[in-house]
Amino acid sequence: MTLFHFGNCFALAYFPYFITYKCSGLSEYNAFWRCVQAGATYLFVQLCKMLFLATFFPTWEGGAGAYDFVGEFMKSTVDLADLLGLHLVMSRNAGKGEYKIMVAAMGWATAELVMSRFLPLWVGARGIEFDWKYIQMSFDSNISLVHYIAMAAVVWMFTRYDLPKTFRLPVTVLLALCVYKAFLIELFVHVFMLGSWTVLLVKAVLTGAVSLCSLFLFVTLVHSN
Amino acid sequence: MFEEASEVFDNMFKSSFPLTFIVFIPAVLILVSPLPAEAAHEFTVYRMQQYDLQGQPYGTRNAILNTEARTVEAEVLSRRCVIMRLADFSYDKYQKALRQSAGAVVIILPKNMSAIPQDIVQQFMELEPEMLAMETIVPVYFAEEDDELLSIYTQTLTSSSSQGSLSAAEVLLHTATANGFQMVTSGAQSKAVSDWAITSLEGRLTGVGGEDLPTIVVVAHYDTFGVAPWLSYGADSNGSGVSMLLELARLFSKLYTYKRTHAAYNLLFFVSGGGKFNYQGTKRWLEDNLDHTDSSLLQDNVAFVLCLDTLGNSDSLYLHVSKPPKEGTPQYFLLKELETVVASQHPEVKFSMVHKKINLADDMLAWEHERFGIRRLPAFTLSHLPSHRSAQRSSIMDVRSVSPSSRHGAGEPPAGPHVDVSKLSRNAKVVAESLARVIYNLTEKGASGDLQIFTEQMQVQEEHLSAVVDWLTAQPRAAQLVDKDSSIVSTLEYHLSRYLKDVKRHYVKADKRDPEFVFYDQLKQTMNAYRVKPAIFDLLLALCIAAYLGMMYLAIQNFGLLYSVVRRITQPKVKVH
Repeated sequence: MTLFHFGNCFALAYFPYFITYKCSGLSEYNAFWRCVQAGATYLFVQLCKMLFLATFFPTWEGGAGAYDFVGEFMKSTVDLADLLGLHLVMSRNAGKGEYKIMVAAMGWATAELVMSRFLPLWVGARGIEFDWKYIQMSFDSNISLVHYIAMAAVVWMFTRYDLPKTFRLPVTVLLALCVYKAFLIELFVHVFMLGSWTVLLVKAVLTGAVSLCSLFLFVTLVHSN
Repeated sequence: MFEEASEVFDNMFKSSFPLTFIVFIPAVLILVSPLPAEAAHEFTVYRMQQYDLQGQPYGTRNAILNTEARTVEAEVLSRRCVIMRLADFSYDKYQKALRQSAGAVVIILPKNMSAIPQDIVQQFMELEPEMLAMETIVPVYFAEEDDELLSIYTQTLTSSSSQGSLSAAEVLLHTATANGFQMVTSGAQSKAVSDWAITSLEGRLTGVGGEDLPTIVVVAHYDTFGVAPWLSYGADSNGSGVSMLLELARLFSKLYTYKRTHAAYNLLFFVSGGGKFNYQGTKRWLEDNLDHTDSSLLQDNVAFVLCLDTLGNSDSLYLHVSKPPKEGTPQYFLLKELETVVASQHPEVKFSMVHKKINLADDMLAWEHERFGIRRLPAFTLSHLPSHRSAQRSSIMDVRSVSPSSRHGAGEPPAGPHVDVSKLSRNAKVVAESLARVIYNLTEKGASGDLQIFTEQMQVQEEHLSAVVDWLTAQPRAAQLVDKDSSIVSTLEYHLSRYLKDVKRHYVKADKRDPEFVFYDQLKQTMNAYRVKPAIFDLLLALCIAAYLGMMYLAIQNFGLLYSVVRRITQPKVKVH
């Protein structure tokens, strides 16, 4: 709408990242470069994913309105690469579990924010036309920060050698949830015909639940030994 | 973080110069990137007439529009784009908008023009000349209604009418929920079109039997006029006249191919352009023929000039003359023959002569025959309109509008002016019979009044007339839109040359220094309606976002609390393990 509106959206999208970075103590660990490296890994992984998708998933040419469940499911499966990427980032950083998780998640989420949200915001929110979708997009970026922190935590737990047997199943379930979250939400949208605000709410609730679960597991795991 | 970042950047730029380009060029590109035109709704609008005639400006003088939409009900209209629907349109409202210095006026026309109630059609037709009579500074546009546009109108109406007596909280809520619309046209400012050529067409059928044969001229102008050029389809005025002229050309060309029926009259057909702009095409044609050439059919023995104007409806026929014809002249014969044919063959038609002197003080000539009258050629106009002031002759309501029901004779006829093909063909027959009676001098030869010449193979073909009117009304034919390459002119030329000899084009271009007429462009544009919010909304949003971010800050600061709660909950479990 105006530059002011863009400023609003920008603040809404970026300030939580900044606050998280400051308050999580990452700045004291001199972790800026590590976050940038994590972001670079994000770029690399996305490139690989894109190449893979373009090679093996021809564009779906179904009728309008039809939803290709199997195809979408397969496409979300490619997001497993994200897990690998996060693992790669964490394995290259030495340090405490929290630190590794936070560095990987912050770098990853920030890279995603810059790469996939900044340009639409700049181009769209500055235009004459007002649309709530830019505010929604900014909220969405906040949600995805939480999502990536939870995901990094789950990946970290999954790759630990000393993970108790009883934890194996819930961690795997959470991992699957993280990967197929986008697919699940899309499914919801398709089945229940949700509006954009409702989708955002569903996303927030789902992400909150997943992260709370992973927090419980994480706390239990960290303090059990 | 910033210190580290700046260090990083410093090192980067010092170490490698090309990296600066990689970072900065995209940044610069992004900063200067143009804003995209992603509009809520995009629709075609037709601008009101803009032209100068004899140095006098008419119509709207502006084409650029970039303002917020309001309806007339709003309290403040200044610098706003006022949108109205035709159903609610009135001259008072229009004047009110202009008086309050509105930024623009957009009038929404219904999609189906033939479904408009009669009174609204009449009222709007009366208003059209008044809207054009004065110069309007702001742009005036016409748009065709669709669902999106209607919804924009409704939303603007609710937001416009509810302002005023509201509490502050309601106003705040209103700003957050209601949508404003920014109307933006994509085109540039309107410019005078230089060197615009108005095309007219002439063709002839030459008589036999001696030198210096009398000539009968049949004239009809093909261009249309309405408040917006792109909406002027001009079915009755003057699609009916042109179609009748073509039919006469067809019938007489048949007669002129046989030696026995080849008459001793030259027939000259002229389809004139610029008829709605003081008959510019006719004027030039007369100048070319009378002043600039030595031999022309118009210079010697012209029996009379018959102008056909608006003949596609009604049961009355008027012969408009500027000087009552004297007895014994060919005009008088035609008048008498018309009376005879109407009385004996079509008694349902009311035929009469209307006498109106040429008023040279007037800016506009009343009828086309006055152009000839000024040059001392005996001329008259045949029309079903009793007066040249009739609004039907220059209205966008004058459309073909054949609904399936009215085509088969059943159902109500459309409210506005339209062409009734059966009446048009009857009028064509009246004219053809009368002309034939003059040409073959049948009355003096003792033929009875109900002798019909154009019957059986020679009869007036209603389908033919109908097809021609359909074709003519398929696109707007305003003088500003029909240039010399346009399909209308070339098809007309083709039609004429099928029946007539020596089909020629005549072009009129306005004089460069002292132009008699000037047309302007940008008559059809794309308008975008962008959904916008008031500035106060941005402020409100900023406050909300600040509050949200503050909450986020507190939440993240006190994440330890949540952590310890979770830990306390999980503690017993840990002991079990």
